[in-house]
Amino acid sequence: MFNISKDFAPPFKMIEPFFKFGSIVYLISILALLFINSSGSIEDLTVVGWAHLFLLGFVMVTIFGAMAQLIPVALEVGHFSVDLYYVIFPTLSIGTILMVIGFWFMPFLLPYGGLLVLVSMVVFLYETLMTLKATTSNTLTVKCIKVGNSFLTVAIAIGFLMALAIANGIGVNLGKFLPIHIILVLIGYVTITVIGLSIILLPMFGLSHGFDDRYINLAFKILTYSVITFSILKLVGLDFVSNFALISIAIGIGYYFKQLLILYKTRGRKNHDIWYKHIYVAFISLIVSTAFLLIWLFSGNDAFLKSGVWLFAIGFIAFVINGHLIKIIPFLVWFERFSSLVGKQKVPMLHEMLPDRDVNFSFWLSLSGLVAAAFGLLISSDSLFKGGVSLLSFGAIFMVITVIYILNFKPEDVKDV
Amino acid sequence: MCSVTKEQIYDELRKIIDPEVGFNLVEMGLIYGVDIDDDCNVKITMTLSTKACPLHQMITQWVEDAPKKIDEIKEVEVNVVWEPEWNISMAEDNVKAALGSL
Repeated sequence: MFNISKDFAPPFKMIEPFFKFGSIVYLISILALLFINSSGSIEDLTVVGWAHLFLLGFVMVTIFGAMAQLIPVALEVGHFSVDLYYVIFPTLSIGTILMVIGFWFMPFLLPYGGLLVLVSMVVFLYETLMTLKATTSNTLTVKCIKVGNSFLTVAIAIGFLMALAIANGIGVNLGKFLPIHIILVLIGYVTITVIGLSIILLPMFGLSHGFDDRYINLAFKILTYSVITFSILKLVGLDFVSNFALISIAIGIGYYFKQLLILYKTRGRKNHDIWYKHIYVAFISLIVSTAFLLIWLFSGNDAFLKSGVWLFAIGFIAFVINGHLIKIIPFLVWFERFSSLVGKQKVPMLHEMLPDRDVNFSFWLSLSGLVAAAFGLLISSDSLFKGGVSLLSFGAIFMVITVIYILNFKPEDVKDV
Repeated sequence: MCSVTKEQIYDELRKIIDPEVGFNLVEMGLIYGVDIDDDCNVKITMTLSTKACPLHQMITQWVEDAPKKIDEIKEVEVNVVWEPEWNISMAEDNVKAALGSL
């Protein structure tokens, strides 16, 4: 048993910029897709720049902001030094902007942006590591944070080397290191972090109890060993054999999906709120993208690779993040502005702090855009892809409106709900 | 002899709403028991819907404060337990119906 006191919770003003910046960058990254040809490859610097805008500016910034809040809950201890998040936010956000400008327009900025991102990540890793030292807990979430952050450390070191190579032409084999960097970030950090947090958040929001958790533990182990195996095999040049590690990753994701089905069956909350809808899309996208990537692996058809990566990035990552933002941000605002008013005046329920119309527009427009663009990539139709991205852009606009509405929710708004 | 009844304590606890689900702690089935001794000291045994509840300390503070609104009540002890583990079947029917679990 543990208590999360107000002392453990980071100040709201510290976390708020992470979520504001993250959601605005999400919108910008979706709008940027309108100017990127869908036939571009992953080695195209325009695509690489977009990937860093999306992954660093939206995914990492939002995850780090969420971690500031969730680490005390997950690890059952307070932060080692929560004030370090005041360093993490500006270095990560400015570093990301410089890197993206570097990839798109001015390559000489890449090392500077890369260095700032590296500093932010090192500070984040140091803070997390020191916090981990204080915990005696060894839950799956703790293991995921440990392993995920270890992979992130290697990923950013490789990423920084590649940034130096692109800007200054130092001798680094990009073709060898790029796939390792991608797998370390997307599977090693993002997916394993999502797995670690989901075993807390999904039962908490879905009121699932008494479930068998062996599949998620199995998924964690398989993914961990697969990422390590893939990285080593790629490093020593055994490219063909490394494909077996990719198949093994797909098996790990399959086990994770099996766990999700168990959580779904044992849930106490069966009504489908907007969070549930986001989660459905996220995890269905995850399994479909995994299937597409397997088809690509066996057929060599790049359309499946692109559509699979798209479903993973937008369908899985963006939907899982946005779905949780509309749960976590109302809680943070409520905790900051309303918790002290309980018993003294009317306080809102968390769902009453959501602008229903805007959040529903965001969901349905984003879902339509996601599916249309995925089909566009599958049939190599840039027009259909752009049409989907247009819908997704409107969805992203409504998501930003939703986030700003919640962040600005004040006690005087209660009478209007 | 204390004249405060358990029902009076439960009535005060019914005023505590979980902001996430929107129901009070009693109808959620989170209050496992209330004991009042002859000196009007209260012991409340309760649980939470999840061990990871970020409002853990705040909710237990609300529970501790609630009976004190009755003048005669002296000390209040709140004991949070995880056995038996809470599940939706412990909630009242209106909660189950609202959450789609009935």
